[in-house]
Amino acid sequence: MLTKTKTLIILGIVIILLGVLSLYFFWNPSDYDFFPKCPFYSMTGIFCPGCGSQRAAHQIINGNIVTGIRHNYLLLLLFLVLGYQVLLFAINSIYNKSFNNILHLPITTKIILVLVILFWVLRNIKLHPFTELAP
Amino acid sequence: METKPQRPNSYLALSIISTILCCLPTGIVSIIYATKVNSLYEDGNYNEATKASKNAKTWGLVSIGIAVLGWVLYILIFGVAMFGALASGNAY
Repeated sequence: MLTKTKTLIILGIVIILLGVLSLYFFWNPSDYDFFPKCPFYSMTGIFCPGCGSQRAAHQIINGNIVTGIRHNYLLLLLFLVLGYQVLLFAINSIYNKSFNNILHLPITTKIILVLVILFWVLRNIKLHPFTELAP
Repeated sequence: METKPQRPNSYLALSIISTILCCLPTGIVSIIYATKVNSLYEDGNYNEATKASKNAKTWGLVSIGIAVLGWVLYILIFGVAMFGALASGNAY
């Protein structure tokens, strides 16, 4: 059973999330100066793997999914992983089975790690095919 | 054959979320630990795998925490100017 404090914490998180979502829904971070800039980028001048996610969040919750993902392709990876987990969980609980989760294979997590680091390096190369990856 | 203990959570999704949310490379550290959980578990190092799982969780939560803290500090410092700009709707 949930205690009172836990319920309050969950309620608080939900309210904050709704507030943040509406902030990103109504205002485009590209057009306004007051959104915080990525501290890593501000300090080093190098894009980090998370750069572009504020702009992406704005576009995606406004329905422009492709434009949003082009700001940060890691969101696509996140959607795939989360979607897979939810789907697998649903299938396993509905049919009362336990299909193997490919995310539990060491090779899958290693590929994801390599993909993230590759993405980080490539998005900082200022030549044509790689500029697509930049935020 | 001895029975395998339950697989520790690798917190892969949490670590990817923290990598995307936070501009600090601590999310990458979290992904590295998430990778270790599965490898160690398959090798039979269950204790080590549990430790890596805890590390993945800690690093993921730390980087989300830093991001939230950064936002709060930012709002505390620039909050007034921010809402002024929102209210007047000036685009830069």
